[in-house]
Amino acid sequence: MAAFPINSNFQGDFVMQLVPVDTDDTMDQVAEKCAYHSVNRRVAPQPDKVMRVRLHNASDNFPRDMKVSDAGWRPTETLDIIFADQ
Amino acid sequence: MYQIPRAEWYDLTRATNWTYSYVTEEEMFPEEMSGARGIPMEEWETYDEPYKVTYPEYVAIQREKDAGAYSVKAALERDAYVDRADPGWISTMIAHYGAIAVNEYAASLAEGRMARFAKAPGNRNMATFGTLDENRHGQIQLFFPHANIKRSRQWDWAHKAMQTNDWASIAARAFFDDIMLCRDAVAVSIMLTFGFETGFTNMQFLGLAADASEAGDHTFASLISSVQTDEARHAQQGGPSLKILIANGHKDEAQKLVDISIWRAWKLFSVLTGPIMDYYTPLEHRSQSFKEFMVEWIIIQFERQLADLGLDAPWFWEDLTNDLDVTHHGMHLGVWYWRPTVWWNPAAGAGPEEREWLEEKYPGWNKTWGKCWDVITDNLNNGREDLTLPETLPYVCNMCQLPIVGTPGNEWNVQDYPLEFEGRLYHFGSKADRWCFEQDPERYKEHQSLIDRFLSGQIQPADLPGALAYMGLGPGEMGKDAHDYAWAAAFKKQAEVA
Ligand SMILES: [Fe+2]
Ligand SMILES: [Fe+2]
Repeated sequence: MAAFPINSNFQGDFVMQLVPVDTDDTMDQVAEKCAYHSVNRRVAPQPDKVMRVRLHNASDNFPRDMKVSDAGWRPTETLDIIFADQ
Repeated sequence: MYQIPRAEWYDLTRATNWTYSYVTEEEMFPEEMSGARGIPMEEWETYDEPYKVTYPEYVAIQREKDAGAYSVKAALERDAYVDRADPGWISTMIAHYGAIAVNEYAASLAEGRMARFAKAPGNRNMATFGTLDENRHGQIQLFFPHANIKRSRQWDWAHKAMQTNDWASIAARAFFDDIMLCRDAVAVSIMLTFGFETGFTNMQFLGLAADASEAGDHTFASLISSVQTDEARHAQQGGPSLKILIANGHKDEAQKLVDISIWRAWKLFSVLTGPIMDYYTPLEHRSQSFKEFMVEWIIIQFERQLADLGLDAPWFWEDLTNDLDVTHHGMHLGVWYWRPTVWWNPAAGAGPEEREWLEEKYPGWNKTWGKCWDVITDNLNNGREDLTLPETLPYVCNMCQLPIVGTPGNEWNVQDYPLEFEGRLYHFGSKADRWCFEQDPERYKEHQSLIDRFLSGQIQPADLPGALAYMGLGPGEMGKDAHDYAWAAAFKKQAEVA
């Protein structure tokens, strides 16, 4: 368990933001933490979608239950948080 | 008494050089300071500045300029224009003074570097006047806002801003240190006077002067014009340096110095001038959009000047042209959303009529930038101001030190340009910002952005209040919405009527 800074690039938002997550967080928890600083602030919520995490500009999303410590990120890694059907 | 006509002595005196007997040329003009790049002295002696002035002429003209601007100020002081001006215009002035006034002194040092170390005698002569110009700009732009400190502590940031670690100050210093204070005399003449002053200060000052007259602010308009006439003169020091570099086989380096300077100046202006022109200036007083201004003054005029000198348009010209629809909208939204972190009160400029203007000037604004402002507007109209205020920091670029922004909403496209260098992960807001770094990593690699400082524990407590304290923002100084959200309430009224 340790704090881990990431660079959040949230779908629909205009700016990247520093978001502290935890090495024990799952991808769903990472998405939640990033959403806190974007959704309902500058991005309208999409309740029928789920939020998925991927490396910046990557095509594949990380598994939703994968932990930060297993993702192989560098500190301040840039991540896209995107709305998806599943 | 007989006076020799100016034409008979001027050329001789302005080009005077001398033979050193106690020191060598290398001791007299160290390469690090002079930047002669192996080009021999005879070549530098051909430096021919297009604008020539003698000391008596200079003093007479400057005296008149000062007398003009100070008397307008004195005459209009009782008129108390500032008390009835639109708050958006007040913010424009407060932002401008903080970002510019003290940097004029830094520019005086940069002129001093040329006055002492330029190998070209004509450059030394011109730069001597340049140091005096910039000293005057510093003084006048500190003196004018000083009269308003009784109105708000934010005016005090004319002097304070550059002594703090406010993010905007870090960004401004990073740029000005790079092009003015940490370069040799030849590079200063190119990066400061040609790259920055010919293009961008021209635009900031002419644009602001136009908006100021429109807004009825004759004091500010006369101040700005008084400064700009100096800039127009001493900005001409870079052209002759470029000619000499190009004629002596250094075109590539000349081009590179120009390109870096233009890109970095563009980024600073996207956060300073862009929001002012397209959002802060009241709708009825806007002369042109920021994009229109940029196209006229930078894209067209500057490109012509480059071609005249035998240089190419910078490699990023197309990127820059495309970014005219993006970057400053993002910088504005960022400054407004993070308003407690700036020393002025950002005007949202996103009311119903303003949005119509934005959509007209920037087709597609509503489905992109407008999407973010929709959420903000709803929050304000539903008593959720808390959601319109930040709880973390925006990620800033390791070159321009400004937030990494891009198009939001339906056409979402926000890009990071990362680089791992010597084990450190850098983030850049554009390809060109990263390119600037790659041209000279030694120069830039140690610099700590606000985010780097936050993550390395220099900002305590490590939260937003800690960051505000680190930036030096006290009570009565932190920005708030310039119009107290009246622009958002206008949408509510519209809905009620409908
Ligand atoms: Fe100046
Ligand atoms: Fe200047």
